[in-house]
Amino acid sequence: MNPATLAMPSKGRLRDDALALLAGIGITVIPPADSRSYRARVEGRDDLEIAFLSASEIARELGAGRIDAGITGEDLVREGFADSETRLDLAARLGFGQADVVVAVPEAWFDVETMADLGEVAAGFRARHGRRFRIATKYWRLTQRHFSQEHGIQLYRIIESLGATEGAPAAGQADAIVDITSTGSTLRANQLKVLTDGVILRSEACLFTAPENVPPQIADIAGRLRAAQKKAAPPS
Amino acid sequence: MNALRSFAARADIETILAGLGAARIDVPVLQPADPFLDMAGEELRRRIFVTQSETGEALCLRPEFTIPVCRDHVAAGGGPARYGYVGTVFRQRRAGPSEFLQAGIEDIGATDTVAADARSVADAAAVLERLGVVADDRAIVIGDQTVFDAVLAELGLPAGWRLTLAHAFGSDAALAATLERLGRPAPMPAMPEAIAEPARAGDRAALEEAISAQMRAASLPGTGGRTAADIAGRLLAKVEAARLAPDPARLDALRAFLAIAVPLQNAPDALAAWQSTAGLDLAAAIAAFGARIEALEGHGLDPGAIVYRASFGRQLDYYTGLVFEMRGADGAVLAGGGRYDRLLPLLGAPHPTPGVGFSVWLDRVAAVAGDAP
Repeated sequence: MNPATLAMPSKGRLRDDALALLAGIGITVIPPADSRSYRARVEGRDDLEIAFLSASEIARELGAGRIDAGITGEDLVREGFADSETRLDLAARLGFGQADVVVAVPEAWFDVETMADLGEVAAGFRARHGRRFRIATKYWRLTQRHFSQEHGIQLYRIIESLGATEGAPAAGQADAIVDITSTGSTLRANQLKVLTDGVILRSEACLFTAPENVPPQIADIAGRLRAAQKKAAPPS
Repeated sequence: MNALRSFAARADIETILAGLGAARIDVPVLQPADPFLDMAGEELRRRIFVTQSETGEALCLRPEFTIPVCRDHVAAGGGPARYGYVGTVFRQRRAGPSEFLQAGIEDIGATDTVAADARSVADAAAVLERLGVVADDRAIVIGDQTVFDAVLAELGLPAGWRLTLAHAFGSDAALAATLERLGRPAPMPAMPEAIAEPARAGDRAALEEAISAQMRAASLPGTGGRTAADIAGRLLAKVEAARLAPDPARLDALRAFLAIAVPLQNAPDALAAWQSTAGLDLAAAIAAFGARIEALEGHGLDPGAIVYRASFGRQLDYYTGLVFEMRGADGAVLAGGGRYDRLLPLLGAPHPTPGVGFSVWLDRVAAVAGDAP
């Protein structure tokens, strides 16, 4: 049997948490002898291969069908390509790496609490300020879906932000932001607030697979991860 | 592959456009992306083909002709002109082809709005007819943003509501959702005490000062974006709205208006009936309809065969007046057009410059007309 490839984040908390979770269901990843290598084996298994990739690359490789399964943040997969809902199967939620993708505006905007408020401000923005309302984000696909498809807000421009998005309003680069937050402390430090209906996605690390023809060893891992999660967080 | 793709057929279309008195214009396939995204909004981004120049400028394959033709007109700086075009436009779709052949006429700078509007509708019908789609094979629907704006003004709705409703105009789903939301009691906005006190008292100066202090604390730039005055104005309006019960009579009147769909020749009567029921004054709009009907008749079109639908509009904020479309028997839109008086100033025209135009979806026309020569 050809080994199935499971991709994991190559560094940071996500990697450590993913390795610990797999160890918990009896999948012990043997660190590669060469520390620069991005491939690893699993103890006692020759039907599984581990690929260490950057978290955003995992989304892309899954989309292209070059790996059988991957552990990565849901936000990166939803942002990574269109119709990820139909092209990939969310096989298991993993209970770590929680972060929300949110719409945030300056706290001083006391008149803006909801997306509907934001839509009104955006609709009248050009007449008042001579330019479109600007949103800084690295999540343009998620932003568009939330604004255009769910709230019917079209009249805004996206400013692509590759880092420190929360600083964009104070820097005058954008009026509002769409960004990821786990505790909200960065937003608060920048005097930004999340709109009451401004949570676009409650993201966490997940196991993603193709929707069909999943190799049996991957299906088995997905089942055990789901069972482990159920045990860790029984339904209330 | 249909016959319209051949050069001979394109030459025929150029002859038709020239016969209608339009000056031929060509615009590059590759266009700067910003004008399209600025005018149409970010929703367009996933439907256009975007690429980047070596210098980092965002470029796209033209998704339509109106904006490039208007930009060319502004750059040339000339007087009133009617331009005719034919060529491929590019739109991303999940399935099916992404290249479409379009032809159309943009009438820029003509100040006789009624005459230019009627001519645009008549020209669109003439192009279809000369391509083999006769009057029996297509239905014309028209709408009018100015009538909707007049109704909102007459109803005396709060400014924020008018903006939201005007923005939703053109999408039945967005309008229904907005009306539903406006029918519910508005909650009092949540505010810290330093803001709530002047807001409840209606003390605008104190409110602006308190908001300014908060903006300075957050090091927000004082210029270029929202100001303390903007925020105070909307906040006071929200406090006011939360004190007022929603007015179901006015929302019902608006719903009744949006439900109007009648043959164009009956539109003045339908609007007159609505205004007397609602106790409002639409005299200007009704007179404009009378003039429009006459002008269309002057071009040989039958106003009894044109439908006026009050809720028909485009969700693009540069459309300002008449909008129209022509559909084939299978429901496909064969031609669409409208008045865009706000577009040319937005694209940099130094003076108010009106515009009206239409485009014809030639591939759909070919399918309806059956490719017969």
